[in-house]
Amino acid sequence: MKIVVAVKQVAALDEEFELLDDGAGVDPDFLEWDLNEWDTFSLEAALELRDSAGGEGDEVVAITVGEEEAEEGLRSCLAKGADRAIRVWDESLAGADALAVARVLAAVLERESPDLVLCGVQSSDAVNGSTGTALAGYLDMPRVAVVTHLDWDAAGGTATVHRELEGGLIEVLRIRTPALLTIQTGINEPRYATLRAIKQAREKPLELVSPDGLGLDEAAVQAAAGSRTVALAPPERGAGAEMLDGSADAVAARIIEIVGERMAG
Amino acid sequence: MARDPKYDILFEPIQIGPKTLKNRFYQVPHCIGAGSEKPGMQAYHRGMKAEGGWGACCTEYCSIHPESDDTSRVSARIWDEGDVRNLSAMTDRLHQFGALAGIELWYGGPHAPCMESRATPRGPSQIASDFELNIFPRYMDQDDIDTVQQMYVDAAIRAREAGFDIIYVYGAHAYLPFQFLSPFYNRRTDKYGGSFENRARFWRESLYKVREAVGDDCAIASRFAVDHLLGPISIQVGEDGARFVEYCDDLVDLWDLTVGDIAEWGQNAGPSRFFEENHEKPFTGQIKAGNHTNKPVVGVGRVTNPDTMVAIIKSGQFDIIGAARPSISDPFLPKKIEEGRFDDIRECIGCNQCISRWEIGGPPMVCTQNATAGEEYRRGWHPENFHPAANRDKSVLVIGAGPAGMECAMVLGKRQMSAVHLVEADKEIGGCVNWISQLGHSDGKENLFRGSARGLGEWKRIVNYRQIQLDKLKNVEVHAGSRLSTEQVLEYGAEIVIVATGCHFATDGMNAATHAPIPGADASLDWQLTPDQVVSEAKRIGNRVLVLENEAYFMGVSVAQKLAGEGHDVTLVTQAAEIANYMDYTLEAPMLHRDLDRLGVHIHTYTMLEKIEPGVCHAYDVWNPAHKQQFEVDTVVLCTARISDDALFRELKADKARLEAEGIEGLYLIGDASAPRMIVDSVFDGHRLGREIDSPHPEMPLPFIRERRLWGETTNEDYLHELKNTADVALA
Amino acid sequence: MSGILVLAETRRGELREVSLELVSAAREVKDPAGGRLAVAVIGADAERFAGDLAAGGVDEVLTVAAPVADFEAHVWQRALESLIDSEQPALVLAGHTIDSLGFAPAVAARAGLGFASDVTAISWADAVRARRGAYGDKLQAELEFPGKACTLLTVRPGIFPVASPAGGSVPARSVAIDLDGVARTEHVEFVEAGAGDVDITKADFLLSIGRGIEDKDNIPRFEDLAERFGATLSVSRPLVDAGWMPSARQVGQSGKTVKPRVYLALGISGAVQHLAGMRNADTIIAVNTDPEAPIFGVAHYGAVVDLFEVVDELEQALE
Repeated sequence: MKIVVAVKQVAALDEEFELLDDGAGVDPDFLEWDLNEWDTFSLEAALELRDSAGGEGDEVVAITVGEEEAEEGLRSCLAKGADRAIRVWDESLAGADALAVARVLAAVLERESPDLVLCGVQSSDAVNGSTGTALAGYLDMPRVAVVTHLDWDAAGGTATVHRELEGGLIEVLRIRTPALLTIQTGINEPRYATLRAIKQAREKPLELVSPDGLGLDEAAVQAAAGSRTVALAPPERGAGAEMLDGSADAVAARIIEIVGERMAG
Repeated sequence: MARDPKYDILFEPIQIGPKTLKNRFYQVPHCIGAGSEKPGMQAYHRGMKAEGGWGACCTEYCSIHPESDDTSRVSARIWDEGDVRNLSAMTDRLHQFGALAGIELWYGGPHAPCMESRATPRGPSQIASDFELNIFPRYMDQDDIDTVQQMYVDAAIRAREAGFDIIYVYGAHAYLPFQFLSPFYNRRTDKYGGSFENRARFWRESLYKVREAVGDDCAIASRFAVDHLLGPISIQVGEDGARFVEYCDDLVDLWDLTVGDIAEWGQNAGPSRFFEENHEKPFTGQIKAGNHTNKPVVGVGRVTNPDTMVAIIKSGQFDIIGAARPSISDPFLPKKIEEGRFDDIRECIGCNQCISRWEIGGPPMVCTQNATAGEEYRRGWHPENFHPAANRDKSVLVIGAGPAGMECAMVLGKRQMSAVHLVEADKEIGGCVNWISQLGHSDGKENLFRGSARGLGEWKRIVNYRQIQLDKLKNVEVHAGSRLSTEQVLEYGAEIVIVATGCHFATDGMNAATHAPIPGADASLDWQLTPDQVVSEAKRIGNRVLVLENEAYFMGVSVAQKLAGEGHDVTLVTQAAEIANYMDYTLEAPMLHRDLDRLGVHIHTYTMLEKIEPGVCHAYDVWNPAHKQQFEVDTVVLCTARISDDALFRELKADKARLEAEGIEGLYLIGDASAPRMIVDSVFDGHRLGREIDSPHPEMPLPFIRERRLWGETTNEDYLHELKNTADVALA
Repeated sequence: MSGILVLAETRRGELREVSLELVSAAREVKDPAGGRLAVAVIGADAERFAGDLAAGGVDEVLTVAAPVADFEAHVWQRALESLIDSEQPALVLAGHTIDSLGFAPAVAARAGLGFASDVTAISWADAVRARRGAYGDKLQAELEFPGKACTLLTVRPGIFPVASPAGGSVPARSVAIDLDGVARTEHVEFVEAGAGDVDITKADFLLSIGRGIEDKDNIPRFEDLAERFGATLSVSRPLVDAGWMPSARQVGQSGKTVKPRVYLALGISGAVQHLAGMRNADTIIAVNTDPEAPIFGVAHYGAVVDLFEVVDELEQALE
């Protein structure tokens, strides 16, 4: 059994930060990096599946598209129990959007032929919620997004999953594997790595590959990209709060109205 | 980070007489156990606050003459040139950091028993102290009054010589000037008694004389309790309180306002259990509000919130934010506000452990939140600076994230150990604080004398602060919800293992009085509980409850208060003379007694249990065991003793070969797991190990500087020589 | 390629409001996009919704019959791919919803479309542009889609107004798409999620109370109000310190950091440690009797009015 977990090293902005000169990115000095919270859950799900049903030769492989900072995230995956890790990077991937990243990950997965692919629902920095499904699209893999429960019959090639809908509703689905699932936080209790495991992880295989090495030239990566960020700016903020005037009933009515608008959909 | 303009007002200078206070952060006089005879501790504790940005720091109450001697409680003294020399250490250090130095000139009268000097204190009328035991003053005639006023003057001159900028004539806490002002103490019929002006005369004259002597060079301050809280028999803010401020306004450059007296000074130094932030406002706030003064006013109220501070000044309540305990908990509070580092602010929890040491008389101060309080000089500890550990290439596993474990992991993190893993079995870190902080709410009614039982919720700040700090430390990982077995600890991969697994309550009635279990005591039965089981609501509690309290601090009484508040019929039994003895020292006792009384708790002191049977507890009189008593009860709560949970440590320690094979070079036991203790001491224990993890034998505390007279000629170096740890304060 | 294709969304027989928000969004760029706005709805009973989708500005409603009773990601993917192929829109809009997370990125990936998710603003100069959050909404990013003849955007619900019905009727056309055998998941059942431990960081709507509620005995009233409003109750620290509420509900520096769609703060002054925990909420509404309360500095909407009077009115209105 081979389970591939696609992870991301995400950036958190410091309280005070500066943009790059081109205004389309943040000065890396002001970024703090960490493994995406969602990915700790998808990794744990993979490890649990391997631990309970797996045998000799079964592996959990962590893969990512990212610069040097992403090595730390992969090492922590290895420390927690992943068997192998792969990082894809070269300069052509700088600023890659969800679709471009998914295209690159698809190339890795074509090499790996996994039985199950797990991704996080979204990353905490870009919050696209798209990479996993796009990846499934490139691979023409069946998928379910936003999974809060997973039972996998690896031998039989089917999985029963819960899909978390808005408003606290759950849909129970069955899917045939190989498949791709995007995992929601809270699905399990992610384990942590002991100091020994962290140390031993330094010896586990962590492969660095360039897109070229996967048969993707720069043009292919560019073509896959769905968008380009041209500018970053602080959120528009009016001059302070819009004050709601009038009596209590007018205020209450307005509050209900605003809530209704914002909570719609 | 830049300062948020919202807080600019706290950093505006203000004139106090001839002196300029650089900002609105003022450490009001408070005790630390240093006095003039531990000049290093005095200078470095106060100096730490100046370094942290406080605009002014004051001594504790400072005796002007051997007749004002509070031994064994530690006051400062300015009796002679030697004291001038010693206190100069403090003023020099404060000035080095740009802060003003204040000295609170004090004459205690009958509240100071003179057990060291053997002198006789004087007072306005011969009434025994309401604070001390059987101490009478000598009646002051005019000569006595002149003599004592001269003491103030001489002391003020020495104070100026020592470098002090602000000189107090101290009359709050019912010390001498207040004893003249208040008819509660003053029954005189001469010109110093009777009418308001007569009663105010002594104080006014003293202020005048001190001002004459040093007022051109120094700011003259007066600490005044605007309301004695005893009603018309003494000073009330609406009557003589405000009037006195107006009456002496011309002679004072700074008013330092409080309430209450020394007999129940917990009304001023209000513990968080009963008093909220800015609790003195209804009294001390009236002075400026009623336009009774043209001079700057500083006041207190255990204010820790920067937004409250801004509101206090903007609303005109005070001009200057006074603080004692918040400055002990975080000497760097002003700097952190200035730099916008709100998450680094270590908030006072109002436990009054600092105060308890002074009350006991003798020991140096302590602080639950700030383990470096009192250790600045004698151990060279700086609350914000941590020397990188010499063995920082090692990794550490700390087992147990209670007060000791959290503190130890935090210090080790700040000392740059390569990796620190703090592992906690519970889902949340915090250990005993998590359930202890749920106690103290009584029945939620606000009908006590000036206050209500707010509970110990603010003690949770112990966890809040450490949680934030641990989160920020990149070399520290915290893993909650994970109980490690001995095998897992051995295989964890840490070179240093620190066990901080806490303690549990004895279930068999084992206690300090009889050193034996109590027949029939068994907290595994469903009608007998330990205190933590009461909080966790693990068992049903019947109507009639007997709480056996042998521990002398808050636990038994807090459980009694909780259950009585919930409507149970509670009997509280203790073998001691008093319930919760230690709470006298933390100033929590009076309010607690009032609450327990209001709740109808039946208290039996000098009483011990000899047998517990279903439905009945058999008790006896400690002084005459033949004197028996039966209590018919439904439920028994055993708060008799705590026992360390050290099994993990013992197992690890037993197999030395295995420890060596796994590369574990150091194995330590801290906190309650080592020996059950108060939370303040657990935090200290964890802190000390962290500070000394790279000493040759970390399990043994390193020597600290003892400020004592060394025979023959000595220099400061002789004392510094005693310090074996690398100091994080520049102790030159 | 020209014109706009809006994909409506239904759930268990109800049209979801985001569908009409998408219409409003589309109308803003209708002209530069080529002037034609079509709304598509997929499902076993798609035609049922044609009338509801006849909003002002909509030129045509397209219904696609699907051979599945409920939403199925692969069926929707194929249906949308087909529609894009047949209708050739320059811009496709879907809601950024749980459903669309399951197919929209796949459609964009396979067809090489321009793509962005969770957009909060759309504009069109020479080409379409979109705005979305960056670094968890701490910044806003402007996006372009160079070289893309068609761009698919998923739009954040609750941002655009709900389009109102048209005066007259709008032509509806059914589009036949072969979707048999396309489904790759099998629906088993729906279940309500269990209560579980409260996690305020997951809530979309927080009703948060502070010292302004005055008394512990008032808490049940606010719990009730939160439930009626569809909100999760959270608190500021003083209520936890006082032992009135568990720390799991605490918002702030020493509690949880939350980023709900709506944060309704009642009786909270906004101490700096509290603001640190909620200042990035999408919409902050604050009610406090003190006009100087710091919370108004981060709120989007504020009211200086007696808290309990407002609560009375809210209770009545939400009956």
